[in-house]
Amino acid sequence: MEIFRFFWTIFYINLFTIGGGYVMLPLLQREVVDHYHWLSNKEFVESIAIGQVTPGPLTIMNVFIGYKIFGFWGALGAVIFSYLPSIILVTIASHYYLKFKNSWIVKASFQGIRPAVIGLLAAIAITLGRASIVDVPTGLIATGGFAILVFTKVEPTFVILGSGVAGALLY
Amino acid sequence: MTVADASVKNILKVFLKIGTFAFGGVYSMLAFFERELVQNRKWLSQEEFAESVVMGQLTPGAPIINTGIFIGYRLKRLKGALATVAGQVLPSFVIVLILSYLYIRYKEIALLKAVLKGVGAAVVALIASVVYSMSGKLLKEYKGILIAIVAFLCLAVFKLNPIGLIVAAGIVGLLMSREEQRNGNL
Repeated sequence: MEIFRFFWTIFYINLFTIGGGYVMLPLLQREVVDHYHWLSNKEFVESIAIGQVTPGPLTIMNVFIGYKIFGFWGALGAVIFSYLPSIILVTIASHYYLKFKNSWIVKASFQGIRPAVIGLLAAIAITLGRASIVDVPTGLIATGGFAILVFTKVEPTFVILGSGVAGALLY
Repeated sequence: MTVADASVKNILKVFLKIGTFAFGGVYSMLAFFERELVQNRKWLSQEEFAESVVMGQLTPGAPIINTGIFIGYRLKRLKGALATVAGQVLPSFVIVLILSYLYIRYKEIALLKAVLKGVGAAVVALIASVVYSMSGKLLKEYKGILIAIVAFLCLAVFKLNPIGLIVAAGIVGLLMSREEQRNGNL
């Protein structure tokens, strides 16, 4: 059955890739396009775009792929098998982490990891900024949004929605 | 709001909200987490939040989903974990389903593109504001600041693997605290 082969592909890709959507893409492309010929390369790029414009993780693009190949049941199976590995593995990891949290090794390594995360986020902000701040209006939206988020208690939801509206009016 | 308010139902509500409005992928979702869970509801401390982000990165699967599971498990064990997955995934599942249908039918939509341009810029602002608020609370001594700067350069300039960087930072943390212990014993 073709659809079960698809579910298994989604399941094991999510089981073995650490680091998220972008790490997963090459593997997914190899299976879905090159190996099983379920999608063309162009359709694969379309599914990435859908994953990026919708809220939620990039891996939600699997739902689009599932829908495109197998219709509704493909979409439903894609969402289940994308997140099942996480539910199993992270629950187990959380259990042990919270148990051994006060151990010296965990504490000490997080002493280095926490500041590194801040540095990584800053680098990502710049990478994304290069791609999405392309002219004066987008520059204004970004600086205005930053000021609102840092200096007021306005919720990010409104900032995101507001800038969507601004985009629609400006372009 | 305190940790006492973190019932399974409330966890589901918060993550439904995050799942619905966090456009722009993983990093804007992290910004929402920080605002909702740390600043607004006070379910997590700033440090517990940073821990959850790292746990999400170090486990297989979508990091943001994993971070949610870790937070949910901390608050309400397995039920809390499942509530975070349902909350994060349901809204985008429905939206992707509708979009898939429309996309296959109509292909190019100009209005959608304009909206996305605005949203893309706001996402950058959101991430920058998270860096700002996290560094105010976590970067208190020069060693931490140094690690943050090195990690930043390694990713921004040298394009090194983020997972490798997190592991390396963990090892640096271990070495640092061994050094401190040795100095303390003298």
